[in-house]
Amino acid sequence: MIEIVGLAKKFSVENPKKLSEQERQDPRLKGRFFHSVVEVSFTCQQGEVLGLLGPNGAGKTTTLRMLSTALKPDSGHININGSDVLENPVMARKKIGFLSGSTGLYGRLSGRENIEYFAKLHGMKKIQIATRIEELADLLDMHTFLDRRSENFSTGMKQKVAIARAVVHKPEVVILDEPTTGLDIMATQTVLNFIRSLKEQGTPVIFSTHHLDEVRELCDRVTVIDQGVSKFDGPLSQFTQLADGSLHDAFLASIK
Amino acid sequence: MWLVFSKEIRELLRDRKTLFFMIALPILIFPLIFGAMAYFTTQAFEKAESKVLKYAVVNPQYAAEISDELAASPQFEQIIIGDNDDYAQLIKNDRVDFVVVMPDNYSSNVLSSGQLEITLYLNDAGLNLVYNRVNSIVQNYATQYQTAAFTTLGVSSKQQQALIKPIVLSQISTADQRESWGEKIGGMLPYLLFILCFQGAMFPATDIAAGEKERGTLETLLISPIDRTKIVLGKFLTIACAGVTTALITVVSMAVWGIVLSRGFAMQFVADFMSQIGILDFVLMFLMLIPLVAIFASILLSISIYARSFKEAQSYMGPLVIFVVIPVMVALLPGVELKGGWAWVPLTNVALAMKELVKGTMDYFQLIAIFGSTALIAVLLLGFCVYWFKQEKVLFR
Repeated sequence: MIEIVGLAKKFSVENPKKLSEQERQDPRLKGRFFHSVVEVSFTCQQGEVLGLLGPNGAGKTTTLRMLSTALKPDSGHININGSDVLENPVMARKKIGFLSGSTGLYGRLSGRENIEYFAKLHGMKKIQIATRIEELADLLDMHTFLDRRSENFSTGMKQKVAIARAVVHKPEVVILDEPTTGLDIMATQTVLNFIRSLKEQGTPVIFSTHHLDEVRELCDRVTVIDQGVSKFDGPLSQFTQLADGSLHDAFLASIK
Repeated sequence: MWLVFSKEIRELLRDRKTLFFMIALPILIFPLIFGAMAYFTTQAFEKAESKVLKYAVVNPQYAAEISDELAASPQFEQIIIGDNDDYAQLIKNDRVDFVVVMPDNYSSNVLSSGQLEITLYLNDAGLNLVYNRVNSIVQNYATQYQTAAFTTLGVSSKQQQALIKPIVLSQISTADQRESWGEKIGGMLPYLLFILCFQGAMFPATDIAAGEKERGTLETLLISPIDRTKIVLGKFLTIACAGVTTALITVVSMAVWGIVLSRGFAMQFVADFMSQIGILDFVLMFLMLIPLVAIFASILLSISIYARSFKEAQSYMGPLVIFVVIPVMVALLPGVELKGGWAWVPLTNVALAMKELVKGTMDYFQLIAIFGSTALIAVLLLGFCVYWFKQEKVLFR
């Protein structure tokens, strides 16, 4: 189970003149600090898929980055299956698999080497890595291109390798930051199938998205963040009830 | 840490562009520079020596001997000019290469005429050997007239020598050949080594952090269960390694090509010079490069981490070359020696020490100051680099 309580994060503003008009009018800008995340709380149970919704700049990426330990929150708690993420981030990283839509690969390494590198960083043994890569190559259908240099991969191939890299260490929770943004239909389908397979295995998934059809198809829970505050956190059924079954209207109603 | 290092090295070795700058360029650049310089200089000299020069003589009747010899030579072509022509204009317009004005007091008896002054108008800005070629003709007659004058005066050959040069100040340098050549070569060596070390480190440095940000792999790396200090150290070692490798390849290539190209004319000199510099000196030079490269690598990595993209990193690093060159130039200034305060000035002290090592006049006691100051700065910079890499505002700009 993943539990997030009262997460907050502020960034110092180096040069206030460089802020956009929208950022300047944002109530989260206080003095020399921009309070990107003010108060975000949500929970995700074993085997659940949680969809993180919110307008651009709402604080979704910052929240997920804190969850993945890339950023350190100013306050709040993150708990994954009973262990405190903030107390021991290096340990927590072993439990987390993270993937973002803008992620890349090391172009001069082959697909296999890309996955191997991260598996080694996770402290996995050689034989363990080889079996796991075989397993993932079967699952994601990567055998034809796995040993080629990844700089010439198509978007779909890249995304498959990136997925394999994110879950090579069998994480207890998978976090995806807009995993389908900028992908073509085929690559998107790969990601969605992957989320589905995780769900079947009982691995909790938290992912942010702008595509409401993905939410309808996959999610058990929905969290809506607006201006750094979690405005809604509950099951999908409760979310749809906000506006007569239309997810679009429900989303708008939640951020009013 | 070694995991990061080995992966970075593997990537580096697969990048043709970086390899070209790190290995191929230093290997090829010296034969190219030496060869091209030798070729063009020889060509220019040959051309200047064999070119038929157009000339004009004013008042040829005064010095018929010289005028006739000039006219008879196939190397010169006489042009007739007007009395009121501007010599400078004629030369500028390429109508003539030079103009000779004979003096009216010209006579083969210099005892009665006094010193003779022939005026030569020429454009001396480029390599043209005009003076040398005219002078070789004129000097013939000068020697003849001198001998004739001495004979008339009845001066013995011993007296002649004394008259021509009453006192000779003969100088014997106590600096041996190694010291005097070491001063010249030893000054240039750090210049080349510093820049090549820096360049060699720069190419992988841009890719290693800024490139990672640009490709979107940095975030994934940051959330792997490895301490960020280890990531920095792994990357730092890769950059430093690349810098040292480039420097080593350069020095070896310089030595090999120097010997190969000098075979035939100055082989013995090069061999003697090299044999005078002991193994210990070479090892010391190399050891001094290590903290130096560490300084470069930390600075470059800090910049690369800060930059958002490959391009941004490159634009920050370019102007840095000046800061590498200035300390070396300071070391070349007269009066700057490896003593007292200068021994503590980073980079400059390494440049000075390399010169001293090549010259064979090293005060080995100064090594404490050199290694001390350079290593201290390297450690401080590396510490900053580690601190820098943990800053969220740097990583997620």
